[in-house]
Amino acid sequence: MAEVQLVDVEKRYGDFLAVTRQNLTIKDGEFLVLLGPSGCGKTTTMRMIAGLEEITAGNLLFAGERVNDKAPKDRDIAMVFQNYGLYPHMTVADNIGYPLKLRGVDRKTRTARVQETAEKVELGALLKRRPSELSGGQRQRVALARAIVRTPKIFLMDEPLSNLDAKLRVTMRAELKHLHHELGVTTVYVTHDQMEAMTLAHRVAVMREGRIVQLDTPKNIYSEPADLFVASFIGSPPMNLIDGRISGGRFEAPGVSLPVEATDRDKVVMGIRPEDLELTDPASAPISGRVYALELTGDSTLVTLREQGSSICARGPADFEAAINTSCGLAPKPGARTHLFDKDSGQRIDA
Amino acid sequence: MRDRSLAYVLLVPAFLIVLATTLYPLAYSLVTAFREWDLTKQRRPGEFVGVDNFVHAFSEPGFQNSIWITTIFVITSVILTLLIAMSLALLLRREGRLHTFTRIILILPFAMSPALIGVSYRFMFNPEFGVIAKGLGAVFPSLEGVPWLASPDLAMAILVLTDVWHWAPYMTFMCLGGLASVPRETEEAARIDGASSWRVFFGVVLPQMKGVLLVIAVLKTIFALKMFDQVVTLTGGGPGTSTETLAFFIFNVGFKWYDMGYASALAWILTAIMMLISIWYVRMLLSERKMATA
Repeated sequence: MAEVQLVDVEKRYGDFLAVTRQNLTIKDGEFLVLLGPSGCGKTTTMRMIAGLEEITAGNLLFAGERVNDKAPKDRDIAMVFQNYGLYPHMTVADNIGYPLKLRGVDRKTRTARVQETAEKVELGALLKRRPSELSGGQRQRVALARAIVRTPKIFLMDEPLSNLDAKLRVTMRAELKHLHHELGVTTVYVTHDQMEAMTLAHRVAVMREGRIVQLDTPKNIYSEPADLFVASFIGSPPMNLIDGRISGGRFEAPGVSLPVEATDRDKVVMGIRPEDLELTDPASAPISGRVYALELTGDSTLVTLREQGSSICARGPADFEAAINTSCGLAPKPGARTHLFDKDSGQRIDA
Repeated sequence: MRDRSLAYVLLVPAFLIVLATTLYPLAYSLVTAFREWDLTKQRRPGEFVGVDNFVHAFSEPGFQNSIWITTIFVITSVILTLLIAMSLALLLRREGRLHTFTRIILILPFAMSPALIGVSYRFMFNPEFGVIAKGLGAVFPSLEGVPWLASPDLAMAILVLTDVWHWAPYMTFMCLGGLASVPRETEEAARIDGASSWRVFFGVVLPQMKGVLLVIAVLKTIFALKMFDQVVTLTGGGPGTSTETLAFFIFNVGFKWYDMGYASALAWILTAIMMLISIWYVRMLLSERKMATA
């Protein structure tokens, strides 16, 4: 267990700057998620922590000690790969026991540890099989078991759930969370799935184009996105972002007129989450439009309105019904949050 | 149905050609193997002698010598080719302009005719004017004037060298293909799990290349068993009989001594050896595949 510190860490491939002066402290025992779209540098950042990628500039510290020049094997880490990275020529038991074997643990202790770890991830009955004889979920468990068979200082997980089907992903997510609670090892987790980030993380680092855009708890990232990118990336369905302007204490856009506490300015984007909107009488509604689509999700209905080319989505009751193209009104729920961003810089405007 | 019969009709010419050039001589040589046929006396295969030709082979020193020579040649050439091909593949694995260039020129030795390779090496190892013989002599004075091809052991070593030089590049490509199919993540996982580069290669990469290496070993074995061209153009089987491989020996029996019956029997012995190796290889490959897909 250890605190991980990235100080001005940078990664270049020739002229291409993949990661820009990253500063990040991962607390001892923390579960930190690096979240972002593909190509944002999250995996590169993790691979630098692992030692699989050289660090171009800056320092990487584990518990205060500089590890830039240490080989991966000397960093005392464990990693779970997206494609599992299992050894196809070894049985499940040998796969799990390999890190112990490499560290010279004797056979007897090894067998016991492997058995114990396999039980923990419910692989006890499959120890004699080869990876090719396992399903995706089982392979993922083997990879996980191989990572936790010894207690490393740091766990690194590179999109470990992205090759699993949706249902299994939810189950494994819960297992991961429980496992982290049990082991308490500092964990860095890379994903592009905001749901995984929200559910697993103590803190989320949202990355874009090689930089961390926002580093905060899932709750704060959801309720107070630092810019338009984070606002559009977090939440499903995503936050409604409406182009407009503020004049006379009201946000004005086609079909929208809402009171806001902000000084007058042009080129403003208002963000409001679908779950913060409710359906009202179109005649007096601050947001109005025609029904464009209704999508029943089970516990609620997503209502999309369109007005002059821009659409707004709201989460309505499951039993809501309306004909397509009929007029419909929306209003923020009492106490709902609206967010204002500068259209040009994308930055949040605080009232 | 008409389409089907048309298809067969169209196959007939090809089949006839194969029949005339391959199957007929093959069958004829099998018949000859059981007969006495001295080309200087008879125009056609003569008297049926049963398995005499085969029995004779195992009691004749010339044949025993060629089996021994061939065995040494096959083992050294296969092992060296494998080692060099694998090492080159590891060196050329990374991307880069130099790597790509080297990979391209690497095909050249393989593009050369084996008979010509023999001729060039004979020149290069000529103690009077050969570039290698002279060059070695200049760097290591003790090697000046060494009669390279006149010494039985050295001649054998040079024969192996020409064959490895010819084949290693091609096998390097096969190794590169094999390496490319090893998932990078398994190597990275091993590095993180605590393996040294040495362990990563021997414990993780090499076992995953077992299939490719097996194919290379068997192909190379079969090619080495047939070794003929360089023997003719480089050493002529000499000095003495020290580089008389089985294929060269069979050629001599048939076309120097004109003992066609005996030569046919020897050719069938060589065929049997190759068949055994092929069968063993297919078995190994199938069991490997079963292991991978089971």
